[in-house]
Amino acid sequence: MWFFALLVLQGCSLVQTVEPWQKGNLAKPEMTFEDDPLERGYREHIYTSKEASAGGSSLGGGGCGCN
Amino acid sequence: MGAALLSAAMALPIVVGTAHAESAPEKGTLSFKYLNYKESQQTSSDAIAEYGRADSKSGASAYDERILVKATSSSLVVPLNSEWSMSGTLITDSISGASPAYHTQALSYLKDFRRAVDTSLTRYLPNGTLSVGMSHSGENDYVSRATSLLATRSSENRNTTWTAGIAINRDQINPANQVVLNETKRSNEVLLGVTQVVTMNDIVLFNLGYYKGHGYFSDPYKIYDERPRERAQQKFQTRWNHYFNDLNGTSRLAYRYYTDNWGIRSHTLDAEWVQQIGNGWSAAPAVRYYSQTAAKFYVEVDPSILPFPPSPPANAKYFSEDQRMSAFGGLTLGMKLTKQLNLDTKVDVKLEQYGQKGVWILSGTGSKGLAPFYARNLQVGITRSF
Repeated sequence: MWFFALLVLQGCSLVQTVEPWQKGNLAKPEMTFEDDPLERGYREHIYTSKEASAGGSSLGGGGCGCN
Repeated sequence: MGAALLSAAMALPIVVGTAHAESAPEKGTLSFKYLNYKESQQTSSDAIAEYGRADSKSGASAYDERILVKATSSSLVVPLNSEWSMSGTLITDSISGASPAYHTQALSYLKDFRRAVDTSLTRYLPNGTLSVGMSHSGENDYVSRATSLLATRSSENRNTTWTAGIAINRDQINPANQVVLNETKRSNEVLLGVTQVVTMNDIVLFNLGYYKGHGYFSDPYKIYDERPRERAQQKFQTRWNHYFNDLNGTSRLAYRYYTDNWGIRSHTLDAEWVQQIGNGWSAAPAVRYYSQTAAKFYVEVDPSILPFPPSPPANAKYFSEDQRMSAFGGLTLGMKLTKQLNLDTKVDVKLEQYGQKGVWILSGTGSKGLAPFYARNLQVGITRSF
């Protein structure tokens, strides 16, 4: 599905060729998908222990018996 | 034209970092974060009021304090050379307070301490990375071990990055009340993803995840809780970050669709705005909306016998009266402030308020008779490069 979505994006020519020297904005920390790992750890831990869904953005990390 | 050249030139030093994205970070990072998490829930009489038996104008209603968690996380990322880096995180959780034995009734008190260690080793290759991770989490009644392997591969121009990962979890469960002994839960999870640079100011991500586990999924501390021993989950996540030149701000949007073989389907929508203020300050307000359907074995509150737990349907193989298996919606509002003190040191503080109610469900009617649930969390962190 993600592959399909990517094809659609490229098919619609929404995807532009961005050259290395044009990546100043993309290099800002808030533009990356690498979130603050400690904050992500807390967030995933809190939501997994209060909601029935989990995962989708990262892998690993120990489970817990949180009730 | 001159301005364009100037901005290109100014962008250059940052670009040097990304052009060699597939090499170990040049600096090590030491981070610490403290979490104070506190739950509260209206007293059960308000849940009864929802059925129209009592006056629901309970403006001065009492709140039961529920779980309180004080946690610390410390993390260290060290580049070994240009091709290898390693990282380690140590987490401690001290948990105390009360949790309902069924629905939102019959609070039972608990105290626990969790210690978790997460380590990973990453190899940087010319066009990708390879990471192996190991983690261990231990409580009095629950031990979890996980191993993960994650590979990324980037296109020649580094505008597309593919990700593939696998994680294996082995858990051991020995509840304090000894309703079961030496129970286990084993699970495997696969994650496939792609990140695509769309324009100079847009980047998107698509992730697909599949989880399959078998073993003990019931909650040993709840009354009438017998869940299937198999669980299969599928999730799709997409994210989109957009930088607004005029505002010097970034919108960060995420959506996740989740479905499993227990009959739970959920939608999660995250929206965050990161505003650079100047002087190293940034402010990031955020909102999150979540909605889930109930597990097919969830037993609804029976208003005719409240506050007692309803018996599971006759011949039911699986049943649960856990609020988390019910149908509800959740809303989070948060604000994060970050201050870059100097080139190497950054501090941040974040405050979040979370609420959960049956009537907040996206469509249909949420589960009834459950007291709304609230939680607030405060995080304070510091990160230093060296």
